[in-house]
Amino acid sequence: MREGLRTSWIAARRAALLGLLWFALVGPDAEALLPGLLAVGAATWLSLRLLPPISALRAWRILVMLPPFLWRSIVGGVDVARRAFHPRLPLKPGWVEAPSHLGGGGRAVLGGGFSLMPGTLVAGTRRGHLLVHCLDTSQPVLRAVADDEAALTRAIPPAEAPPR
Amino acid sequence: MMAADILTGVLVLLGVAGFFAGSVGLLRFPDTHSRLHALTKADNLGLGLIAFGLAFQAEGVADILKLALIWGLAILAAGTAAQLVARSALEERAPAEEDAP
Repeated sequence: MREGLRTSWIAARRAALLGLLWFALVGPDAEALLPGLLAVGAATWLSLRLLPPISALRAWRILVMLPPFLWRSIVGGVDVARRAFHPRLPLKPGWVEAPSHLGGGGRAVLGGGFSLMPGTLVAGTRRGHLLVHCLDTSQPVLRAVADDEAALTRAIPPAEAPPR
Repeated sequence: MMAADILTGVLVLLGVAGFFAGSVGLLRFPDTHSRLHALTKADNLGLGLIAFGLAFQAEGVADILKLALIWGLAILAAGTAAQLVARSALEERAPAEEDAP
């Protein structure tokens, strides 16, 4: 019974998020209410089919990660832009292997985040290590990956670590 | 001229500068992976700044959400695509490249 309760809770949260999405796309329009409800219902059903509700993502933990991500993006972006315009092109490109214990989905999020962050790019994993390409290998990339992995682990409870 | 218009102008110009830096990096950086860096970062920062700047011209919450959605979907796609391209570029060159892990 508890299982069913959790499933409905996750379904309700997804429906609320998709409802917000509909509102963002259509705006406050009374005539759009009926098609909106139908679309949100269908999208929720589809999302439950595609990503089974195993355990609830702690969404606020993801939101907490957003400001540091944006800040590092700006700092890193200025740094990479400076290197791109510098006449001597001061780069020290190379690979760093960062250990990662996250499951497939969490690892994809971690890799995506670091691929978006200026200065690092992730090329998949090898033997449980994230392959990170760095524009400057003297930057403290290993620590940044470990920090974000820890934050992501708190956001995605272990039970949700998707099966390989 | 309102303060919002000035903010929009400054942020959009900064965003354009981000895209410009990304394009310069794409042309100047030495190898495939370094060049890939330049592409995704322009999406993240450049588009982010432009969307943020335009948010000051929005007429309602729905418009701001729409701009955030555009940025969110674009970086979702960019982050995923960058990983896939980086991986396939690595696999293609791995036998010839000694310093690759």
